Formats: sequence, structure tokens, C-alpha cells
Amino acid sequence: MNKRIVYCVLGFHAVVALLAPLLPLAPTDKQDPGAMLQGFSAAHWLGTDALGRDVLSRALHGGRPSLVIALLATALSAIIGVALGSLAALAGGWIDEALARLIDFLLAAPTLILLLLIASFFGHDPFILSVTLGLMYAAPIARVARGSTQVLLARDFVRVARLQGGRGINLLFGEVLPNVWRVVLTEIAMQFTWIILAFSSLSFLGLGASPPTPEWGLMIAEARSYMTINPLSVITPIVMLASLVLAVQALVDRE
Amino acid sequence: MNTILQFEQVCVEARDRNQVVTPILQAVDLKVEMGERLGIVGGSGSGKSTLLRIAAGVLSPGLHLTSGNVSTAGVNMLDVGPKVRQEMYGSSVALVAQSLGEALTSHLTIRSHFRDTLGRDVADETILSSLDDAGLDGAKYLHRYPHQISGGERQRVLLALALVRSPSLLLLDEPTSALDVGIAADVLATITRLQESRGFALVCVSHDFGVVGRVSDRLAVMSRGQIVEQGSTDHVLANPSDPYTQSLLASIPRLHARIREPQSIVQQPVVVVRDLTVIRSGSTRALDSINLEVGKGEVVGVIGESGSGKSTLLSVICGLVPHTSGSIRDTNGFDLTTPLRDRPISVLSQIQMVFQNPDDSLNPVRTVEQSMARYTHATRDEVLAALDAVELSEQFLSRRPSEMSGGEKQRVAVARALLAHPQLLLLDEVTSALDVTVQASVVKMLASVQAATGMSMVIVSHDIALIASFADRLIVLRNGQVVEQGSVGDVVESPSDPYTQHLVKLAATTVHK
Repeated sequence: MNKRIVYCVLGFHAVVALLAPLLPLAPTDKQDPGAMLQGFSAAHWLGTDALGRDVLSRALHGGRPSLVIALLATALSAIIGVALGSLAALAGGWIDEALARLIDFLLAAPTLILLLLIASFFGHDPFILSVTLGLMYAAPIARVARGSTQVLLARDFVRVARLQGGRGINLLFGEVLPNVWRVVLTEIAMQFTWIILAFSSLSFLGLGASPPTPEWGLMIAEARSYMTINPLSVITPIVMLASLVLAVQALVDRE
Repeated sequence: MNTILQFEQVCVEARDRNQVVTPILQAVDLKVEMGERLGIVGGSGSGKSTLLRIAAGVLSPGLHLTSGNVSTAGVNMLDVGPKVRQEMYGSSVALVAQSLGEALTSHLTIRSHFRDTLGRDVADETILSSLDDAGLDGAKYLHRYPHQISGGERQRVLLALALVRSPSLLLLDEPTSALDVGIAADVLATITRLQESRGFALVCVSHDFGVVGRVSDRLAVMSRGQIVEQGSTDHVLANPSDPYTQSLLASIPRLHARIREPQSIVQQPVVVVRDLTVIRSGSTRALDSINLEVGKGEVVGVIGESGSGKSTLLSVICGLVPHTSGSIRDTNGFDLTTPLRDRPISVLSQIQMVFQNPDDSLNPVRTVEQSMARYTHATRDEVLAALDAVELSEQFLSRRPSEMSGGEKQRVAVARALLAHPQLLLLDEVTSALDVTVQASVVKMLASVQAATGMSMVIVSHDIALIASFADRLIVLRNGQVVEQGSVGDVVESPSDPYTQHLVKLAATTVHK
């Protein structure tokens, strides 16, 4: 994908997510029984949903819950993942072996099913959802961090540092992390997109955002029964979600 | 005579993403007749590999042929379509590229490689005879995979593959740079024999006069994209007219030319190694009962082919690789088999090491000053003094590894080791990745550092001439055992072990004067 397009799409999402409440849009929860499931019109540019709510306004607001939760969860998974992976590689021996198995276990766990379980226990609390997502998506980051740390630890400049008294955390921050962050950052950005998708999936299944919150996954779930009558109300949130995910992935793909 | 390869005023440029233009080849004129043997010598970045690849119709991405004519067997292979080029590969021209590891496909047997080249229905006899020609017992190798054969054997297989369709021009890019000295000499002998019996034209590119000197009648010397000197090999080697050629030839280490006078008085040892054995992956003895003392101010040279355990010896002495049995102690009797993390900093700094690969010995994200001062806690003045000792100016303080040449990086690596004020400096093939002129200046720098500080050094190399010019004492390792040791003079004058004799003989004939 062209770099400029990627930046435009990302900029669009950033502006919309930050400024949606300030934009001159129809209220997201204002129902209009007189105008349900309409197509394009001057009053509702992208039509209305089954309750007569403005699709454009809801779609532009719909990224905010996912983004907040995804950013929180990604930050958490990045911290846990990098710490777990690089410390495992640094420690070596049985500690590394044990942590590696833990990472494998987390990777093998069926994410969505575990999420459903936790969401059904703890409800829709966004904080608990972020922490859960952060924990579950830390494993791939930990694996990448562990692998690239191992490669770096075998390099000559790290050996020289060890001969000059560098050890432990000092070695990690001094020699290893400045060289692995690029690779790890790519993986973190990828996980960010997966977390957004996971949260939207949860909402779709009724366990993420709760109505009447405008949220893409939830909007798709609500509108899919009327897909044949008004496809716009399904397509709009899908395009929003897909464009954000694809743009982030394209951005890190280039680097 | 027929001309098989001709370059007329060929100019090649590299253009990067920001359209910055760097000349790679500048007005190169070159002519190779049928059956002729041409050697091309030059340092890294001189454009010699680019020239060879263009002769084979390959132009790396980012390079542009801006003017001039190239003709290989009468056609410009850069212009012809892929079909013609494929047809010409092997039948008119064959290229053996440098990196041995990547040249063969790892999941294909040797026989499959030949079948890919000659077609599926090729008779095994054809393959066998071409392998035999390249000096391999064909029947033994037919069903082997590339990882099951040694580097020298791989080079022979590549030769056989290149020659199996009888090309009239064979292009060799650094045919022996990945091989041990002894094996390299055998491979070169095979190349010469094949050329004499089949009469193809040969162009061989190398940074090493010793290599091209053996397989060429005519020699071209390249520097910065230009051919600075051309002539018969004997003439160029004996009477080089161009200053660059002269400096190249003068830089080659010679067996009896000392950079540093040997010292015979050995004071108390800084490190004592007794019965050191290292067993790796089950039962392989990387080192087998090594005994070694390094005196204060002494320079010990360690020679051996790859796999002889010479690098392992250094790694074990400095504590990066654990030992299996035996003892290593320093002057004060401290046990140097203690893991690195349990050693006090005063013991750690006694022994420092400089590694082989300049690109790997400095942290790519740090400046020189940061790299040097981070663990040694040296002040800026101390860093400057260390840089001065390795003949680098103040400007280098803020440079990053990507902004330095290989030789400069190795100097920084040495300076960094000096800041720890070691009693013993371990040097692992520190010059093997460098051009010959840079090599000579780095060795001279090491000699002056040694004279100024009086520190002991252990220097590992495969190049006996280089070590003999620098060390006081020589140790020859083979299969993890010491096969010969003594003062440099004794070992070089009258080697007792057959392997050492072979090395000395090869080194003495490297460049025939």
C-alpha cells in the first residue's frame, strides 16, 4: 500500500477518534422511528439503522471504546511481553526453559474462548477487559523479545560488554533493548490490531461494549439481521474497522 | 585470437533512494582472449566483484550502467532476454560466486544439482566424470547433501557444476576466501589443472595476490572503480609501477619480515593454563589437554585451521566459554574458570578480547564514546588517550559504527579493550576481515600499543606470515591439540610437524617475487 494512503487513513482515524464529540454530528443515540433503515440522504449521509440512529455519527464514534481499551491493553502487553521475553533470554538455563513453556502455553490457549469466559464472569468492565486482553496478547511479544534478545546476547559487542563488567539489567538496557526495540515494536503494533479485532469480536458476541454504546463490533452485530434491507449500516462499521487494522499493519510492514 | 570478454569504457553508478550517485566502475577497459587467465586484485569496494558480475550479465539492484560496452562471447549479456541468458550460462560463461554457503541448495543432493543444470535424463557417468575432474571421488558424493560436505569439497562441486557444460569463460569470485590455507592451495591447483587441460578463459577476482598469482598469467589491479595497473602477473608482482599496487604488495605480511622484535626473556606469567580440556556437544574435544603460559609482555601467536580450537582457546581463557577440566589461573593464583558474573571487576578487566568481525564488535546504536565509556567509566580524556593510542582522532568520539570502515571499527574495539587496562589482550583473527593494506596498519598499531603498554597478547590467526611478523612464540593447534610450539624463529625456520611445514611452505610461496 502506498505510504501516503496509509498515513492519511491513520490520520483520519486519529482525528475522528479524538474529535468525534466535537464534530457537528447527529447524537449517536437519538432514535427516529420515522426514519428506520434508510439509505443515503441529506439528513443521514450514510443512512440509519434499525432504530433510526444516524450510521455516520455512530461509525465515527464507534472506534473510541476499542481504541481506548486496545491502547491500554497493548501498553500492558508490551511491558509484560518485553520484560518476560528479554529476562527469560538473559537468565538462560531452567528459568528460560520454564518461561518459554509458559509463553507456549499462553500462545496455545484459545484466546477468544478464554476472553468469553472472563467477560461472562466479570461483565463489561472495560478495565478488567483491558487487563485480560493485555495479558493474553503479551505472549507473542514475549516470544519475539526472547528470540531477538537471544540473538543479540550471542553477538560480540555484548561479549565485550560482559568482559568489561556488564551484567544483568545493565546489559539488557545498555546493549540489548536499544537494538531489539525496532523488531519488538513491529510485533507490538501487530498485537494492537489483533486486540482491536478481539475487542470488536467480543462486542459482536455481546460481551464487549454494551448497547447503546456506538462500537463497530456491536454495530455489525445489531445491523447484520437487516443486511439485505440496508447494507450500509453493516458495511460502514466494517470499512472503519478494516481500514484501521489494515493501515496499522501496512505501516509496520514497511518498516 | 578470439576475444571472449571485452569491457570498453564501462561506467557504472550506484544510485540510492535519495538519488545520491556513487561511481562504482569508472571507464574500465578490459580484454580477455580465449584461453587466457586473468587475475583481478583490489581491496573491498574497488568494484572488482561488480565487474565480474556484469561480465556474467548480472547487475545488482541500485546499479546502473551509464556508458560503455560490455561483450561476453560476442553479446552484451545485460541486454539479452532471460532465455538467451539462461542458455549462455554454463555453455559460454559460468560464474562461481563467493559465498559458498548459499551457492548450493540445501535440500538437493549433489546429483540433483547436476540434473537441474543438465536436465533430468543425464547419465550418472557424466556427473561422476565431471566430479572426478574437479578432484572429488564422484561416487562418494553423488547422494550427499551440501551440508554433508566440507567447504573445500563444496567449492569443488561448484567448479564441477560450472564446468560441466564446457563454458569458454569461467569467472571466479574469491574462490578461496572461505577456505583454510592448505585447502585453498589444493583448490587453486585443481583450477589451474582444469584450465590447462580444457583451455577455457579464466577471470579470477580476489583481494589476495597469493590467490590470483597462482591462477593467472595476466594481472589487473583495481582501486576505486578503476583499473590502475595491468600487465603480466610476473611483471606486476616484481615491478609494480602504480603506487597503489606498490602499497598493496608492501602490505602483504612476509614470513621473515618482523614488525616487532621478538623478546626471549619471559618474566612471571600473567596466565597459566594446565591440562585444559573442553568437550562440546557430547564427545567432541574442542580442546584437548592444553598447557600454556603467557609471560608478562609476551606475545603468543596461535595458528590452526578452522575447527582446530584456536578461537575456543581464547574464549575459554577470558571466561566466555566454560571449560570441562583442567585449570586456568592468573598471576595471583585466581581461578579463571570462575563464571564471569562471579568475578570481581578487577579480575574481569585483567583479560580483554577483540573479536574477528568488525561489524559485530561495536553496538550499532551507540557512539564510539558511549561504547568505550559505558562499562569502563572512563572520562573523556581517558577515551581520547585510548583513541590516540590506536591512531584515531577526536572526531571519532561521536561516530557510530555505520559511519566507520572495518579497520576503524577494529581500532575502536582495541581502544575499548585498552580502557580496561588489561594485563592480557586476546586477539581473535582481528585482521582477517580487513583489506591487506588496512591489515598491515592495524598490526603495526597493535605492535606500538604493545610496546607502549607492555601488555601480554595472545593473537590467533590462520595466517602464519602475519603472526610470525608479530609474535614472540608460536603455538600450532590441530584438532584441539598443540602439535608444535616454540619461538617464532625456531618454528618458522625448522618446523617439525608436517602441518606446520605445509603452512610455512605455502606462506613462503604466497607471492613469488
